[in-house]
Amino acid sequence: MVSSEGSVLIVTEVDKNQEILPISLECVTAGKRLAEALGGGTVALIMGAGVGEAAKEMTHYGVDEVCLVDHPDLTAYQPELYVAAFLQVCERVNPRAILMGDTLTSIDMAPRVAFALNTGLVTDCVAVEVSDGEVSFVKPVYSSNVMAAYTFASEPYVVTLRSRAEEAAERQETADAGVTPVDVKLDAASVRTEVLQRVVEEDAGPKLTGADIIVSGGRGVGGPEGFEQLKELADLLHAAVGASRPPCDLGWAPPKSQVGQTGEKVAPSLYIAVGISGATQHIAGMQSSKKIVAINKDPKANIFKIADYGVIGRWEEVVPALREAVSEIRK
Amino acid sequence: MDIIVCIKQVPDPEGPQDCFVINPEALRVEPRGIPPVLSLFDENALEAALRIKDACRDQDVKITVVSAGKKLSNAVLQKALAVGADELVKVEDAAFESGALDSYATASILAAAIRKIGRYDLILAGRQAADWNAGQVGIGIARFLDIPAVTLVRKIEIQEGHALLERVTADGYEAVKTPLPALVVASNEVGEMRYPTMIQRREAKKKPIVAWGAADLGREGELRNKLVLKRLFPAEMRKGECMLVEGKTPAEAGRNLARRLSQDGLI
Ligand SMILES: Cc1cc2nc3c(=O)[nH]c(=O)nc-3n(C[C@H](O)[C@H](O)[C@H](O)COP(=O)(O)OP(=O)(O)OC[C@H]3O[C@@H](n4cnc5c(N)ncnc54)[C@H](O)[C@@H]3O)c2cc1C
Ligand SMILES: Nc1ncnc2c1ncn2[C@@H]1O[C@H](COP(=O)(O)O)[C@@H](O)[C@H]1O
Repeated sequence: MVSSEGSVLIVTEVDKNQEILPISLECVTAGKRLAEALGGGTVALIMGAGVGEAAKEMTHYGVDEVCLVDHPDLTAYQPELYVAAFLQVCERVNPRAILMGDTLTSIDMAPRVAFALNTGLVTDCVAVEVSDGEVSFVKPVYSSNVMAAYTFASEPYVVTLRSRAEEAAERQETADAGVTPVDVKLDAASVRTEVLQRVVEEDAGPKLTGADIIVSGGRGVGGPEGFEQLKELADLLHAAVGASRPPCDLGWAPPKSQVGQTGEKVAPSLYIAVGISGATQHIAGMQSSKKIVAINKDPKANIFKIADYGVIGRWEEVVPALREAVSEIRK
Repeated sequence: MDIIVCIKQVPDPEGPQDCFVINPEALRVEPRGIPPVLSLFDENALEAALRIKDACRDQDVKITVVSAGKKLSNAVLQKALAVGADELVKVEDAAFESGALDSYATASILAAAIRKIGRYDLILAGRQAADWNAGQVGIGIARFLDIPAVTLVRKIEIQEGHALLERVTADGYEAVKTPLPALVVASNEVGEMRYPTMIQRREAKKKPIVAWGAADLGREGELRNKLVLKRLFPAEMRKGECMLVEGKTPAEAGRNLARRLSQDGLI
């Protein structure tokens, strides 16, 4: 039975293979600190269909309780059903705070939940700060040039956490928490927005998150042909291909390759930025990279201010030579 | 067919960092030397609306742009009229300063304005405003108007009484069908907004602009904020010691870069 009145509810997401997302474990770290400040416990919530194993696994990360909503209608994320299920869990748990990762799902779900609960929401939070018993939530605003700290005038606090803002909670051998199944009543017939089809678009090459090297292109790359050249370089380096926003908007690169404030936040050992000017919104997604290389024809481009290595020149001349030299070295 | 597009006026988000001057006492960001513009993602939303208008030439499609704020510039917002919107509704009040309203308050004001406009089959919003980056107002409007909402939409096709949408997901997209009226949050994958021609810019000055205040919406003196802004401070930027790798030609510099990265154990 769920008894943790006034606790922090941590929404746990899993990937296609039912593996818990790293961001959810980062939420646990922030959630525990938050719970301590609020004087309650932590409850992790897993929703989906056939996610029992993931729920069991979640008991190893130091939360006080794991709530499991396992329902055939929750196979894939459908906003109305997920929110309906979530609100029923909230009635039982009565949380003081709700933490989610800043994922594509929560971009949709978190505002729905906050408005349904008549409360506020801080999205893309990069720091949960506790001082003198007051909890504030910090997020970047104004093109990531300014940081804003918020408190809430309402409860529960709803917050989405940016990935890599916290260390992931560590797995412990012992599992102290129990799994509490929560029954929810869902009415699939009441759904207003119907998903007709889910289309998986072919995605070749390594993923951005977790990639050790990323070769990223910007507007300066000029078109899809340029991205093919970057892909060749990336293949040689076993690297993932990233992009700034304009190439994604213009269809030169797939949406999910976008790095930055509204895209992926990455931290590879090496980030090679080609034809990217270094707008703060882009830097926001890659400044944690260990080393940054900039290739840009404009010596005054902002990207050189944050890069470790730079080549001033047109990529059309620099990149093919770089690729050949890399392939020599790799031989 | 009546389409409403929510567009916020923001200081140019691409301005350099020192343009965003923080006033820590007043809890305000005071932009210096950068012009106000249409919020970037709202341009994507308007572009999505314009494409519907292009596709439904045989129908009477009216696009109304709604913007709420403290001091709104006709010159800035007229760009929306120049690219093809038909009417502009400005909702202005001294209390509607961007930093003084959170998403909950903003959504309730915009929902009230949309109710007053009265006719809407489709409402479009951007993914997030380029100043406070909240990413909530669209869904809030839908909630207040009790209509369905679909987010991160890159393509819209209007059919009889409903819309077919392509919604961006982590590994592709979803085809979603929604009854109308509905609210759609456009994703940036819609693509950039078209440019207005000189003639369109001139013509835009003749298009109607409606100006409402808080009183017209029955919304004086109550903001309904759920968040309290406590502190503003500068963001720390990474500082690199950039080593410029040179060569007699750019190609040589490229080869030298490979060597350098290899020496430093990075590749
Ligand atoms: C709310 C908001 C969120 C945003 N989120 C993101 C985000 O998540 N990610 C993101 O990337 N952006 C984001 N942006 C957009 C961001 O502000 C910039 O517009 C964008 O990052 C610029 O991309 P770019 O550097 O590729 O293009 P540009 O700024 O146009 O720069 C192109 C660069 O290429 C160089 N170049 C041109 N030709 C060549 C050549 N032949 N060889 C070498 N160099 C060349 C130029 O010198 C220039 O520096 C966001 C903006 C807003 C307002
Ligand atoms: N003051 C405003 N006037 C008009 N539209 C707005 C306003 N604030 C937000 N919006 C719309 O809501 C979207 C999301 O805003 P936000 O939740 O503030 O990030 C924006 O992209 C706009 O489409």
